Amino acid sequence: MSDPAEIIISVRGLKTGYGDKVILQNINFEVRRGEVFMILGGSGSGKSTLLKNLIGLYPPMEGEVWIEGSNLVTADENQRLLLFRKFGVMYQSGALFGSMNLLENVRLPLDELTALPAPAKELIALAKLKLVGLGASAQKMPSELSGGMQKRAAIARAMTLEPRILFLDEPSAGLDPVTSAGLDRLIKDLAHHYGITFVIVTHDLASIYSIADRVIMLDGGTRMIVAEGKPADLRDNAADPWLRRFFNREPEPDHSAQLN
Amino acid sequence: MTATAQNELETSVQIGADGRARVIFRGHLDAQTVPACWNKLALDLRVAKLETLEVDASGLQFCDGAGLALLRYLNMGKMTPGAAVSVVGMKADLEKLFNGFTSEDYEAFRPQSQMKCRSLPDEVGGWVRRVTADLREQVEFCGSVVSNLPAAFFDRKRMRWEEVRRVFELAGANAVPIVSLISVLVGLIIAFEALQPLAQFGAQIYVVNMIGLLMVRELGPLLAAIILAGRSGSAFAAEIGTMKINEELNALTTLGLDPVRFLVVQRITAGILLTPLLTFYATFMGVVGGVLVTLGLGFQLALIFHQLTTSVHLSDVAFGAAKGVVFGAIVSAVGCLRGLQTQQGPSAVGISTTRAVVTSILLIVMADAVFSILFFFLKR
Repeated sequence: MSDPAEIIISVRGLKTGYGDKVILQNINFEVRRGEVFMILGGSGSGKSTLLKNLIGLYPPMEGEVWIEGSNLVTADENQRLLLFRKFGVMYQSGALFGSMNLLENVRLPLDELTALPAPAKELIALAKLKLVGLGASAQKMPSELSGGMQKRAAIARAMTLEPRILFLDEPSAGLDPVTSAGLDRLIKDLAHHYGITFVIVTHDLASIYSIADRVIMLDGGTRMIVAEGKPADLRDNAADPWLRRFFNREPEPDHSAQLN
Repeated sequence: MTATAQNELETSVQIGADGRARVIFRGHLDAQTVPACWNKLALDLRVAKLETLEVDASGLQFCDGAGLALLRYLNMGKMTPGAAVSVVGMKADLEKLFNGFTSEDYEAFRPQSQMKCRSLPDEVGGWVRRVTADLREQVEFCGSVVSNLPAAFFDRKRMRWEEVRRVFELAGANAVPIVSLISVLVGLIIAFEALQPLAQFGAQIYVVNMIGLLMVRELGPLLAAIILAGRSGSAFAAEIGTMKINEELNALTTLGLDPVRFLVVQRITAGILLTPLLTFYATFMGVVGGVLVTLGLGFQLALIFHQLTTSVHLSDVAFGAAKGVVFGAIVSAVGCLRGLQTQQGPSAVGISTTRAVVTSILLIVMADAVFSILFFFLKR
């Protein structure tokens, strides 16, 4: 049983969907401070919807999302704004503002949400860019960057206000293995050296085995969490055939039968 | 010596007569406490010419990125130009973070002045190059359309009439309410504006002649074309531009389908067919607006009709319809061309739609001028 003092995110009895359609139900899990926690699942299993619930973009039908002791679901507008300061989000496309260079992108939260003097904002933004290996690209526009660099810059922007939690949506999607491995190392370093808690939605098995401390597996059929634990344990000990196929990257049996 | 407590931060500034100064921090140096502390230090340290500054960070219990920025800013001597600055007493983990971003990093990464002054010939040359490149693309596009359009008209397989019907409905039928409103109001406005000067000569009835000629030959085609440019030309540019960004145009090309034949020909056909109809409708509604005003003045409907039929001839109507055909072709072709020219980036589609509307209106007015000159010489 996990120590409650270490728990930074707690999801209890969450049920979510769109309109009358239920996508996930009876979702319960906890994330501990400083760990790299991954949300896995097949296509259409509700990973992205769950992430939207966790970051307050979309309210669940039922249940609670506790972040550092505050329930995001029942929080009023002011409490929500305070909660938003406690976490950063990196979206799948990076979502950098195309009309601003990297420095301006990273400095934006400081410009809008703090009373810091201009030189302080510049120093902080440059330090964050250096942290993700993009110091020399501070004046480049997002359109001048590769996909991996855009994601690194998005992480720098998400870290600007020094949140304790970072949510990443498919960080390795569309990246080559080398760039993806570099991003994994960055995540690992940030978790290790800065104590940042990562909640990551991903499909990438290499990333899962490389950096995940714990994972949960969502199932679109039962609409519930079907597995929780360390990735290597799930790969080696999963009783469910679909789980074994997922963690060993094997196709559905009837696919090859159809082709043959 | 001064000492201040700001929330959880205590800052001491000690300035000696020998030019030596010392800043001591105690407590939390973070985004909440740094702004006030920064301003205070900037004021306190400016008072004297300092030779050395020692920043004592041994009392810091917490320091975030904002605190590190202040320490680095002090360390770089930005608040004490010419003074030798040292930061002492940092705990090991804080020192590691502090050394993660050095003065050298700041100098290497900070924005440099990007003021670039180009010479006049350079500016003019760049402008000419852009204009000629755009002109070349327009000529190529026209060539491609001209080579595809007749073939598509006579070959049922090459022309997607269902798409023409869809565009016809979106750009034509759905535009009827806005065309009605604007045309009636324009007819109304012109009638009211013309009434006063004509009344001085007792010639109010000639408002009908003026409205008839003006709407049939000029304003009807212009109103229809400008509404089409704002409403549908921009939509064509946005639609095709989004398709280009989503690589749908690449998909068409690699499927062996020419985007001009597949997307542009249908829109231009719809534009050519529907604009004369919209022109007639806009003309009719504009005349209705003017007639309503003259009816309000007490003129008989029969007299108004007589004035209209004597002043407006069939050649004027044909002239208006010809303008409609040309304007329709211009608006739809320019909308499609700007869509095909869409670049990458979030603002690209917006730029394309703006260019589509601006270019369309410019070309419509230029074509209208050509028509006017042509009509003048034909009537002589």
